[in-house]
Amino acid sequence: MNDSSSVRRIVHIDMDAFYASVEQRDRPELRGRPVAVGGDPDTRGVVAAASYEARAFGVRSAISMAKAVRLCPSLVIVHPDFGKYRAVSQQVLEILRRVTPLVEPLSLDEAYLDVTENAWGERLGTTVARRLKDEIRAATSLTASAGVAPNKFLAKIASGWQKPDGLTVIPPERVEAFLQGLPVDALWGVGPVTARKLRARGIDKLVDVRTADPGQLRDTVGSMADWLRQLARGEDDRPVVSEHEPKSSGSESTFARDLTDLDEIRREVAAMACDAAAWLVRRELYARTVTIKVRYHDFTTITRSHTEAPTREEDAIVGRALALLEKTEAGRRPIRLLGVSVHNLCTDPIASGDVEARLPFDR
Amino acid sequence: MELVVRKNELLRELQLFQGIVERKNTIPILANVLIEAKGDEMRMLATDLEVALRSRCQAAVGKGGSLTLPAKKLYEIVKALPETDVRIEEDKNGVKVAADRFDSRMQTLPREDFPTLPDATGKARATLPRSALKEMVAKTQFAITGEDTRYFLNGAKFVLRPDSLTLVATDGHRLALVDVKHAVGVPQEVGVILPKKTLLELGKLLVEGEGDVLFESGENHLFFDVGGRVLISRMIDGQFPAYERVIPKGNDKQIEFERERLTSAVKRVALLSNERSRAVKLEIGKNKVEVTSSSSEFGEAREELPVDYNGVPLTISFNAQYVLDFLNVVETDLVVLSLKDEASQAVMKPVGAEGYDYTYVIMPMRI
Repeated sequence: MNDSSSVRRIVHIDMDAFYASVEQRDRPELRGRPVAVGGDPDTRGVVAAASYEARAFGVRSAISMAKAVRLCPSLVIVHPDFGKYRAVSQQVLEILRRVTPLVEPLSLDEAYLDVTENAWGERLGTTVARRLKDEIRAATSLTASAGVAPNKFLAKIASGWQKPDGLTVIPPERVEAFLQGLPVDALWGVGPVTARKLRARGIDKLVDVRTADPGQLRDTVGSMADWLRQLARGEDDRPVVSEHEPKSSGSESTFARDLTDLDEIRREVAAMACDAAAWLVRRELYARTVTIKVRYHDFTTITRSHTEAPTREEDAIVGRALALLEKTEAGRRPIRLLGVSVHNLCTDPIASGDVEARLPFDR
Repeated sequence: MELVVRKNELLRELQLFQGIVERKNTIPILANVLIEAKGDEMRMLATDLEVALRSRCQAAVGKGGSLTLPAKKLYEIVKALPETDVRIEEDKNGVKVAADRFDSRMQTLPREDFPTLPDATGKARATLPRSALKEMVAKTQFAITGEDTRYFLNGAKFVLRPDSLTLVATDGHRLALVDVKHAVGVPQEVGVILPKKTLLELGKLLVEGEGDVLFESGENHLFFDVGGRVLISRMIDGQFPAYERVIPKGNDKQIEFERERLTSAVKRVALLSNERSRAVKLEIGKNKVEVTSSSSEFGEAREELPVDYNGVPLTISFNAQYVLDFLNVVETDLVVLSLKDEASQAVMKPVGAEGYDYTYVIMPMRI
């Protein structure tokens, strides 16, 4: 049994007809018209994205552009501009990362978020999802569909439930009812071929998997059998993994001539510490540990670290780095390389103590 | 060296040395107390190179001289002895500590290894009122940070003026300041930064006894003579923040609280605050203040306090611990909280405190 504290709130955000919507946004003459983004019909191009107007004609992504044109003779074909889509995607991801660092992008147009703990202090995943949709629309003029559920697989199915501009929520108590109605091919990873094989064995609905003979199931879907059985119970404990979670950041420089002047060394260290602080602010992170690296003229290299409450304040990081410098032979031994880095990063401003604003001594 | 001393007198002194001697230190001699037998006194000295304590007690000296003994072990032994005379005696085999039928031989370290400490110079000599100083230390020392890299915050600023004394401590989030009117006896203003440990040990020395405290400021050291015991402290070198600047002047919203009711409300409500931030919110409305908290893990709590307030409603959050730190050292029945808005520093003061002026500035939490 899950108690309410262990139930996760997972949001799946899926941008509606993403590439096509970006094109329609930027080129007003395309609005209201069937648009397909992709390659030329006569060079075996395929549809990368279709606007909702085009979908009405049966134009889907991944079909050949030639077929798309046959289905919809008035189709407007637009060559993809991935640089632009990437930029918009980045903009959307930034919005998502404002609420939690646990954002797992699946592609340019969809991502999972774990909002169980979130920066807005919202208890309901639904409220988070609605706010995210609003913010995405405000910032990009694009719509997204969102699914909210206790796990990834349900969240993803939910986001596809009502499109475009949808918001579907599967609260824990409705998971079972939801599963009961789910056809087996609603699952990601179950394509038409697998679905046909499963149906041939009498497995129509996902919940039918529960009662299927395990051996037979294995014969039909191979290694997916265990996974399917889990999903059929509504279980999916895959965590949301933010892919590019940085572990540290820092810089170092080797000097043209060895440094011996302590003031100059301090200035260099302070400048690098400022950069590290600026990076933390940009990434909305806090660092617990500041490390400095000193390479003396004879190439002996030492590092000194200091760990305390997380911070991203420039003063604090510079202060820590300079205090660490005191623990080296800087000024007494010539230095050829200096480095400053921040580690032990965290995103929780509450853990950081930095929600405790500082007394404004310097103003 | 050979001397006999009353157990209780020796124990009382040795106890005061326990905070001075550091458990972890890389210089072995610093674990020892230097003992000198001279005249009819046993003199003691211990230091961690930041703070030192000189003390003495009456003794029957058989043979003058000096030696060092481990401060902790000696204390443990003396503490375990019955109420009797203790004999400390050095012979060619080592140092003997004996009492009654108990006999022991202790390891010693060469007296020559013991660091030399400066003596008072007579510069900036001042007389400090003991009880006021005690109040000042107790009301500020908790606001000093433990391990801040901004090392000047690891101490408290002590300012002596011809007619007043000020002690200020801050950890950058809150600031505690005590002002006392007193004819100090310095010709002009003297400002020094005292290490946290100095304040802590000074506080212990002030616990019992009477009489003013003599203060001297040397080249790099400060001397506090508390009833014959002298605390010697290194001065922290650095610029203490311009504390006057963060004490707000225009906090126009004032709310008086019964200290005990506020203390218990904050304590209770804080039980369900976020464990790390310890934030409690004060929702200030017409004639009432609701103290609230919430924790995603445990739930939420609120408690209403009746107050006399007619201004605009305001909500402000504080670290509960910071509020309690203040309330715990105040004795008056009433305290007043003055605010400007939810983001600017708040001020708490005792109402009707006698003999000192206490100002506590807290930065609210951003929530």
